[in-house]
Amino acid sequence: MSTRDLVLSALFAAIIVALGLVPPIMLGFIPVPITAQSLGVMLAGVVLGAKRGMISVLLVLVLAAIGLPVLSGGRGGLAVFMAPTTGYLIGWVFTALITGYLSQVMVGRDQSGLVQTVNFFIAALCGGVVVLYGFGIVYLALVTGMGFTQAFLGSMAFIPGDVIKALIAALAGRAVMVGYPLLPQRA
Amino acid sequence: MDIRFDKVEVRFEGRTVIHPLTVTLTERRIGIIGLNGSGKTTFARMINGLVKPSAGRVTVNGFDTVSAENDARQQSGFIFQNPQNQIILPILREDIALGLKSRKLPKANVAAAVNAVLDRFEIGHLADRRAHELSGGELQLAALASVLVTEPKILVMDEPTNQLDLRNRNLVERTIQTLPEDVIVISHDLDLITGFDRVLMFREGRIEADGAPGEVIGRYRALNGAEA
Amino acid sequence: MMRSLHVDGDSFLHRLQPGVKLTALAIVSLCLFTIQTPAVLAIAAIIGLAGHCMLRISPRQIWLRLRPFALIVVVVALFTAILNSPGEGLTAFFRLAALALFASLVTATTTTGDFIDVITRAALPLERIGLVRAQDVGLSIGLVIRFVPEIVSRYEAIRDAHHARGLKLNPISVAVPLIITTLRSADEIASAIDARGIRRQK
Repeated sequence: MSTRDLVLSALFAAIIVALGLVPPIMLGFIPVPITAQSLGVMLAGVVLGAKRGMISVLLVLVLAAIGLPVLSGGRGGLAVFMAPTTGYLIGWVFTALITGYLSQVMVGRDQSGLVQTVNFFIAALCGGVVVLYGFGIVYLALVTGMGFTQAFLGSMAFIPGDVIKALIAALAGRAVMVGYPLLPQRA
Repeated sequence: MDIRFDKVEVRFEGRTVIHPLTVTLTERRIGIIGLNGSGKTTFARMINGLVKPSAGRVTVNGFDTVSAENDARQQSGFIFQNPQNQIILPILREDIALGLKSRKLPKANVAAAVNAVLDRFEIGHLADRRAHELSGGELQLAALASVLVTEPKILVMDEPTNQLDLRNRNLVERTIQTLPEDVIVISHDLDLITGFDRVLMFREGRIEADGAPGEVIGRYRALNGAEA
Repeated sequence: MMRSLHVDGDSFLHRLQPGVKLTALAIVSLCLFTIQTPAVLAIAAIIGLAGHCMLRISPRQIWLRLRPFALIVVVVALFTAILNSPGEGLTAFFRLAALALFASLVTATTTTGDFIDVITRAALPLERIGLVRAQDVGLSIGLVIRFVPEIVSRYEAIRDAHHARGLKLNPISVAVPLIITTLRSADEIASAIDARGIRRQK
């Protein structure tokens, strides 16, 4: 890995941590505040692509594991990896990986802005909702023994928020690509 | 110092950034001036091997920056424009030790060298502070310490007074004057280099003027006053 | 900001090798999943709580450390109790509480530096197969901790710029400039690392 890739991954990890420290931002059209940290995970994939995006998320989790309160709400330490919701944290790694991979494959510099945004949205939706909830729900069901249906029902309430985050990630990802393109392109 | 550029050319994305040039640098204090985009930073970055020539070769104290990259790199230290980006670990002491640790020196030697360089720049009281809390002048001194701890013989500085207030600028000027190392300074701050041994002026990827500071700086002023 | 959850001290757990603690935590966690008796799990949770008393910190501080997990443990236990059975809810409660308590203990008694050493050593086999460079682990962790405060300062500058122009904060107008200005500094930081020979080959 080049030094530049290492620094980009570390800086994005720092962005994800910083997004956990800032107060949640209210959207105009819905009454739910957006906690920016999980948005940051989708953005890692959208902006940096699969490999660097995944490394930045792994770095955040390593920092949490070694006892730094880097997760939103000042959470950290090994206990976050021993919780019923740990599946969502593990899922973050794959959110960045899948979102990043799909962005690399689907989004091209020669596409129109609308097509780019839609493709980023699909990538973020697959990584940040389908894959993330896959990990979260399966883990929750297995660890607590509550059963898959119950785990799914318990998680459903959070899905609309993450769909909105995927949309924000798509819009922001496209804007970053215009301002400072970093996403690896197909050869 | 003995830095030789031999028919060196740099092309980047189809554009020629440095046109073929041959020059030897041996003076103790050398200034580099020129407008933004004139090629002066690219030129300076070649000394540390951060930019590799597209054609020709660069040797630093006899070491080729391509074929003997590590040895050439050990000859010189580089201070970047923004000292904030130069300190890469949270605590100053850890950051300064980093360059030595990668050379696999024993722990006691590392600690002694770090303390020595902290004393040299009189920043021992900052050693255990977080880099984020340091002022611009403190950061510039910290950057100097982090680079000089590995004892390079040549120091290259890219606009070292760019972001400093007058007091810190003067502090950096005095520090440069007293450094035993050979120094190459890129600067828009012309007062900083008037006392130097030699000044190079870059223009559109070429060395436009080369000589004593008074004459080169005078020419630079005249040229850009007239062009404006 | 970024204060570690480590607690200074010289208890038995503080003196234990970090690698040993992590292995023990993994084994204990696996055992907790095989145990189905609420009473045994309750004893485990009590041992975990007793361990926190060895840290010589006030009950309030213990509560502050556990609070982030307390709610989710209770919610999941209640959910299980209602949807499945009260017995299963109780089992889930004690098991999850014990897991969180033991993990929290390892965190409290191990320094960040010790953890980085463990991870660096664990990465050595991966280095041999060319997957990562072990020394990059510590460097990356240091970089993140170094630049979080800088990014928070940038966020504050962007927020103030919004307010100065009478604009409301919105996630896109905050995230985009934050990401671009931060990542733009990557080139210079990477050059500084290379110029100092910190990631030299060989």
